Amino acid sequence: MSSTADTGVSEVPLAMLRDGETGVVVSVKSGYGKAWGLKKRLMDMGITPGTRITVVKSAPFHGPMEILVRGYRLAIGRGMAERIFVRVEETRAGCAEK
Amino acid sequence: MRGEITGETGLSGKKLVIALAGNANVGKSVIFNYLTKLHQHIGNWPGKTVEKAEGTLHFKGYTVDVVDLPGIYSLSTYSIEESISRRFIAVEKPDVVINVIDASVLERNLFFTLQLMELETPIVIALNQVDVASKKGIQIDFEKLEKILGVPVVPTIAVKGVGIFKLLEKAVEIFEGKLEAKPRQVKYGEEVEERIEKLAEAVRDSGLPYPARYVAIKLLEGDREIQEEVEKSKPQAAALARSLGEELERLHGHSCPTLITSERYQAANCIAREVQKLVPPVKPTLGEKLHNVTTHRVAGYFIMAASLLSLFFFVFAVGNVFSDILTSLLYGFKPFFERVLGTGFFEELVWEGVVEGLIAGASVALPYIIPFYLALYFLEDSGYLSRIAFLMDSIMHKMGLHGKAFIPLILGYGCNVPACLGCRIMETQRERLIAAFVTTLVPCAARTVIILGLVGRFAGIQWALMLYAFDLLVVFLLGRIAFRILPGEPTGLIMEMPDYRLPHLKTVLSQTWFRLLEFMKIAFPLIIVSTFTVKLLETTGILRVFTSLLAPVTVAWLGLPVETGITLLFGVLRKELALIMLATLLGAADLSKALTPVQMTVFTIVSMFYIPCVATIATLVMEFGWRKALVITLSEIVLALILGGLAFRILILAGLT
Repeated sequence: MSSTADTGVSEVPLAMLRDGETGVVVSVKSGYGKAWGLKKRLMDMGITPGTRITVVKSAPFHGPMEILVRGYRLAIGRGMAERIFVRVEETRAGCAEK
Repeated sequence: MRGEITGETGLSGKKLVIALAGNANVGKSVIFNYLTKLHQHIGNWPGKTVEKAEGTLHFKGYTVDVVDLPGIYSLSTYSIEESISRRFIAVEKPDVVINVIDASVLERNLFFTLQLMELETPIVIALNQVDVASKKGIQIDFEKLEKILGVPVVPTIAVKGVGIFKLLEKAVEIFEGKLEAKPRQVKYGEEVEERIEKLAEAVRDSGLPYPARYVAIKLLEGDREIQEEVEKSKPQAAALARSLGEELERLHGHSCPTLITSERYQAANCIAREVQKLVPPVKPTLGEKLHNVTTHRVAGYFIMAASLLSLFFFVFAVGNVFSDILTSLLYGFKPFFERVLGTGFFEELVWEGVVEGLIAGASVALPYIIPFYLALYFLEDSGYLSRIAFLMDSIMHKMGLHGKAFIPLILGYGCNVPACLGCRIMETQRERLIAAFVTTLVPCAARTVIILGLVGRFAGIQWALMLYAFDLLVVFLLGRIAFRILPGEPTGLIMEMPDYRLPHLKTVLSQTWFRLLEFMKIAFPLIIVSTFTVKLLETTGILRVFTSLLAPVTVAWLGLPVETGITLLFGVLRKELALIMLATLLGAADLSKALTPVQMTVFTIVSMFYIPCVATIATLVMEFGWRKALVITLSEIVLALILGGLAFRILILAGLT
């Protein structure tokens, strides 16, 4: 049910996290060819290995995710969120807001 | 007067150049406006479509030139803005760089500051929005920050003008050598530091405009621009950089750019922790509540629809009123004009060729651009624009654009001119171009007049609605095609959603005013020249010749009466006039007697797509240069003719007349 139930290394793309979950960045995959710039941009925005990221919410229709990183709010597209690999830190029962 | 910030010309010739640098949304433009007030010049960086804002002020006998660099998060070459800023600082060497940082997001802002310090330029830090930070429970010991960084730090509240004076004082003191600003260099980890030093030694005489240590760091960081330049001037250093980079990668298990970026962020994190005290507020702030509602998966869309509708109505209600007032006011000069020039060929040419062009420019473009700019800057400065982008991202993605492009697209329904200007909110040149291209295909108010006034009125509203749907389909498909054809990487959304704040009215007003001036400078000459040309062609009878030359296209291919050629040519100036002219030329106010439903549909399709009006073309020229403006214009003519011709044949085949 929850990603913490995984055995072994629970390294998942950020996109898999649910609202309210927090993960620590393990790596950012640059993917193919020209996407190098995007990886650099993500890192320049503070998404470097070891950084804690909390998913606040996701926009509907497979839209971008709102995350908290280094004390500020960042919106990142789904495609990017799939390239950021995190280790899930803790699981909350759900968003306290709802 | 001594020590005051004034715009008056100082007597002495002492000059000081200050650059403002920092992240986006930190209040940089507020400081810029506070400093330079009415003495601004907004233009583009040479050869780039990145806005360059410059201004002057006078302070303590100095004529101070202030250059507002684009808001960026790093100094690598990810974007044009970043490389422009870096080159400016390294090559033009401003006397002092004022680094504006947001006290409430200290860590990320320091990441940028550390890179500025690596450029070894004299820096003063404006620790801005200290009031906002303290409301969020963040207290910063700025004196400690000063000590750690080795540069002066001035706490500011730009919207209230707090600290700005001190900021200038410090800048002057640094310039005069009274204050030492020796930026401390970030120390990376031992293994990294060792290799930076080794590499710095190797690139010391590379001839690049940057400090050797900076070049070394950027080489390890994988900066493409610097890699290429070093490859050219010192290939052995580039090779050394590669092997050192590989060593580091083996040692740490991460790629070298990742390592450097992480370590710099680590340094920023340590500094931030040392100087700030966090007392998170218990209650969520109003801004946070607003954020939650405006990005809500259901409520967010309703709020967005309501805000955009009101924006739309605001722009066009204000626009219509002023457009009417200006038109009647300016036409009021006609009797006076006739008295001076008499009524003859000459008067007609001057009036209809030059003055009417001016009137068209003043009454069509300006009344809409002003409220639009006001609304756009309001949306942008308040932070709401980023929420809209967040909500619309997945839909706009299907067109290869991200969420922000939704704004210009919607505005295009009112007037393409401000909509094209609005494309500046996109990050890359490529996205700006695609967004502008699809935006010019959106039927603006003038084209709506044709759609509703011709097809809607004489053929039925269902036909008009179908044309709107058809237009959306074309916009969507062409957006996708442009996305595929144009080179460049598909960009995803990586966007800060800054805290909501009340926009600073004076900044919004001055942003509007100076961008309006820029628009007038470029658009008006073009509008007048083209109006004059069309008028000249008409009075000399050459236009008739053109019209018959166009007959193979208008009559044979599109199946329209030959007179439509003339109206389509005039439509380039003002599309809504095309309809009035059509009625005059065909000698029938009831156009259904002169045109068949099929002809009406074809005429409307062609009008919808064939060319943006001359004001839009002028805007495209301003934003993208002649070549791209011409390509967009020509491809839209071709598109309109293909679609019109196909529609004519298909409708006939379908048994309509």
